[in-house]
Amino acid sequence: MIQDMRLIELKGVCKNFGDTQVLHDVDLYIRKCEFITLLGPSGCGKTTLLRIIGGFEMPSSGEVLFEGKDMTGIPPYKRRINTVFQKYALFNHLNVYDNIAFGLNLKTPEQLGVQTKKEKKEEIARRVNRMLKLVKMEGYEKRSTNALSGGQQQRIAIARALVNEPEVLLLDEPLGALDLKLRKEMQLELKAMQQQLGITFIYVTHDQEEALTMSDTIAVMNGGRIQQIGDPKGIYDEPKNAFVADFIGESNIVDGVMLQDDLVKFRDTEFQCVDEGFDTNEPVDVVIRPEDIMIVGEDVGMLSGTVESVIFKGVHYEMMIRDEIGGEGQGMLWKVHSTTMQPVGTRVGMTIVPYNIHIMHKAKTADAEPVSETGDKEA
Amino acid sequence: MVRNKRASKALKGTYLALVLAFLYIPIVVMIALSFNKSVSRAEWTGFTFDWYAKLFQSKQIMAALRVTLEVAVVATAVSTVIGTLGAIGMHAMNTGMANVLVNLSYLPMTTPDIVTGVSLMLMFVFAKVPLSKWTMIMAHIAFDTPYVLFSVMPKLRQMNPNLYEAALDLGCSPMKALGKVIVPEISPGIVTGALLAFTMSLDDFVISYFTSNTDQNLAMIVYSAARRGVEPTMYALSTLMFVAIMALLLLVNRRSGLENM
Amino acid sequence: MKRSWYASPYALWMVLFTVVPLLFVCYYAFTDAAGAFTTANFTKIAQPMYLLVLWDSLRLAVYCTALCLLIGYPTAYFLASRDFSRAQSLVVLILVPMWMNFLLRTYAMMTLLEDNGVLNTLLRSIGLPGFKLIGTEGAVLLGMVYNYLPFMVLPIYTVLKKMDYSVIEAAEDLGCSPIRVVSRVVLPMSIPGVVSGITMVFMPAVTTFSISRLMSSGMVYLVGDMIEDYFISMNNRNVGSSISLVMLVLIILSIGFLRKVDPDNQGGGLW
Repeated sequence: MIQDMRLIELKGVCKNFGDTQVLHDVDLYIRKCEFITLLGPSGCGKTTLLRIIGGFEMPSSGEVLFEGKDMTGIPPYKRRINTVFQKYALFNHLNVYDNIAFGLNLKTPEQLGVQTKKEKKEEIARRVNRMLKLVKMEGYEKRSTNALSGGQQQRIAIARALVNEPEVLLLDEPLGALDLKLRKEMQLELKAMQQQLGITFIYVTHDQEEALTMSDTIAVMNGGRIQQIGDPKGIYDEPKNAFVADFIGESNIVDGVMLQDDLVKFRDTEFQCVDEGFDTNEPVDVVIRPEDIMIVGEDVGMLSGTVESVIFKGVHYEMMIRDEIGGEGQGMLWKVHSTTMQPVGTRVGMTIVPYNIHIMHKAKTADAEPVSETGDKEA
Repeated sequence: MVRNKRASKALKGTYLALVLAFLYIPIVVMIALSFNKSVSRAEWTGFTFDWYAKLFQSKQIMAALRVTLEVAVVATAVSTVIGTLGAIGMHAMNTGMANVLVNLSYLPMTTPDIVTGVSLMLMFVFAKVPLSKWTMIMAHIAFDTPYVLFSVMPKLRQMNPNLYEAALDLGCSPMKALGKVIVPEISPGIVTGALLAFTMSLDDFVISYFTSNTDQNLAMIVYSAARRGVEPTMYALSTLMFVAIMALLLLVNRRSGLENM
Repeated sequence: MKRSWYASPYALWMVLFTVVPLLFVCYYAFTDAAGAFTTANFTKIAQPMYLLVLWDSLRLAVYCTALCLLIGYPTAYFLASRDFSRAQSLVVLILVPMWMNFLLRTYAMMTLLEDNGVLNTLLRSIGLPGFKLIGTEGAVLLGMVYNYLPFMVLPIYTVLKKMDYSVIEAAEDLGCSPIRVVSRVVLPMSIPGVVSGITMVFMPAVTTFSISRLMSSGMVYLVGDMIEDYFISMNNRNVGSSISLVMLVLIILSIGFLRKVDPDNQGGGLW
């Protein structure tokens, strides 16, 4: 179970590479046994943040605390953190067994809780075999790492990190190179491993689905800033700004104006909503998930439109529906997910219930202001 | 159409055969003559190993052989260490600095051998260092090292950059990571570089000629003998050197494939 | 210690044993025997006698490069064509002499061409008059081409081999005759290889000293021989340095020129 203790804490971390600032004043804390995912598009700074936690990069300013103690200057080999690298980084000159035993071999017998060299060897064998079992790779000890498939290499990389019994495991897009089916399997296995071992996982990915499946907590990043932190459901249902809404799942994002509490106007139409606390007539972003738009009879909807395309997506149909605001053919295209198909050219009505309309403050600059603070964390 | 193709293939084949003949006839003739009883190049009077025997009895040639091997071994050892460390260092550098060093490494490769030779000679003479096998070794290290560097660099570039970090992550100090992970990973490049350096060293004449006075290597012996006129012992020596270089090259080739030569 | 420091012994060695010696060449070129500054060394080598040697060297090097290109290009092209199933071994065969000591190669060539050598003996034995080759410019040229031909073949072959063969098929498909395929497609695409081949042949050819000395028994006198004489037999290092410096500048200029033709250095030479 996640404990309420702050294991790792980042305070005002900034990172510059030459003239480009890749991290802006990041505050974040990570609790013991938490599975936290840093999620964002490539170049958002998530990997840099991970590398700072791992000790491979120094923050340009700010602090990294581990159990309340500053560890900014401590090199990676002195941290109780291990990493699973994006492309596995297995040592090709060593076989599977020696790869996993690599970190243990560097330790003294005392550090492994035994006295003699012989006992150390036995202890290492015991731990390596336990790991092989955990990652379901028993019997591969003597294999060369070159002879393994991508998925198998990944398992060895995970075993090699976990065998050192780190308090925190960092994973940098570890499943990125695997095919879809294998990725899904590994997601579940990783999650199970994390729960079984009870250690903290910090996971980096750009795959929102992966993040939603595995994480206790998600930190959505963009432009070197944390945009929102929360549990998966909270992030999905209540995105704090248009970027998060768009990045987590698909969204229709519309310019709107807040007329008063619980009333918003967009597409020349007034809608009931459940958002309060905005200024009167404040311009806002309105976010509506494709599955939250209901298709109704052509004249009973809040908006009317014509179906322009239909794609079958396996469990639902994705339809692009152009509304009629601004004259014929000038309207905006809405992405709608529905289990019933409407043929192209059909005129339909669209209805949205108030709690499915998400109102967000307009981002002030292009690279979105941080809307969320660390204190927002729930769960 | 088919006939056309066959004709063109035959033509190409003939052309290549002629080029090969041009390249190999002199070598084959020389090897043959090294087994010829007669001193004359003009007639074949019977098979003999006499010239080889003479070769091994010659104090001068045996001394030169020793010098050649000593220089090649020492120069290869030193340049392999310096070159490998250099490649690792340059790999960790920012591009600007590394570019300066890469260009510096091209310098001995683009400077004509004779200029390299005389420039080193000038420096040694100026510093009043006697020209011996030691100055020859220093010169050889200078032209061998870039070959090691350029054999190791591609291996470093191909290497997953996370390997080093993975070693640190698993508890290696930077020094240990170098020995336990990086060097084994790039060892094919190091071995190829060392073999190349050794070959270059064995093969060198021009630079050795200008940087050594008291000690002569085999190539220098061949040169002075050739200036006096042709003699069969030299055929025997040439044949042996040819075979030695071939054997080394086969070794290098087997390791790196032709494309990396 | 930062890892970039590992390069320091290398940098030190390269500076000490390549850059500093070249500075010595400059220093000696601009001083007299007593060490005083002078430009007399250069005015001396500007005399016709010296310029003629330089001219001969350039001329022979250009001939040699041209011949190597003429013989080497078709060789590389045929090797890279898909007609030969064992092309790889053929390539190795052609390149092997490149790694053989050039003195040995020259020595072998001498044996063949001497007045009483294999070739002349063969000719005389079938009743033909022998001919004198050693001692002529032709012999030097032959020795140079023999030595440097593989250096021309290798880079051209490398570039041609890397070339996408479907490009040739596309050209044929678009109606190019075989000759046009070569002139319009293959040749332009192989320029980088040609450039690096030219560099690799011209450079050693223009500075050779032993080949000319051995193949002409001293009758053909080139810049390399002159440098050797000034350093070894005449012990006049100042004039020798000034000649070396002129050579070096010439080489650097020609490499600079060739780099302009092939800015990406795609031919790559040996590397």
